[in-house]
Amino acid sequence: MMAKPALRKPKKKVCLFCHDKISYVDYKDTGLLRKFISDRGKIRARRVTGNCTQHQRDVATAIKNAREMALLPYTSTTR
Amino acid sequence: MRRYEMMVILDPSMDERAVQPSLEQFLAVVRNDGGTVEKVDVWGRRRLSYDIEKKSEGIYAVVDLTATPATVKELDRQLNLNEGIMRTKVLRPELH
Repeated sequence: MMAKPALRKPKKKVCLFCHDKISYVDYKDTGLLRKFISDRGKIRARRVTGNCTQHQRDVATAIKNAREMALLPYTSTTR
Repeated sequence: MRRYEMMVILDPSMDERAVQPSLEQFLAVVRNDGGTVEKVDVWGRRRLSYDIEKKSEGIYAVVDLTATPATVKELDRQLNLNEGIMRTKVLRPELH
């Protein structure tokens, strides 16, 4: 039960979009996209989100589109 | 003919009831060129994530339409010429 920290194997994350079978990442869905940005407004890395290559790319483009339309911040200084 | 999705940010000083008619005026170009407008969704006033043209709010509207590429280009051009339009974005949703 209690895994030793030295040889702890991180649980394999599954891509949220593959799991939910979402084919199109909508840039208007800011609630969903907010899960993939840090509190500084940066896009989270794939090793953090656990997304597959294709969906991480889709998420990134969706976030960039949302930023252009001021739905998401480029930076947020509030810390 | 292709399906497009267009998002528009309008000047917040505009009356929200005036949004629909003024958008219709722009969309006339689509109808005249044989395209169709499926849906006009006015989100209403919304806070911007960052200031655009020194304004912290904007009126958002999303339009679904079917038209030829040339028509959409013309529509986008006309919208960008208008002072009351702060920003536009045209996407083809099924490409992704």
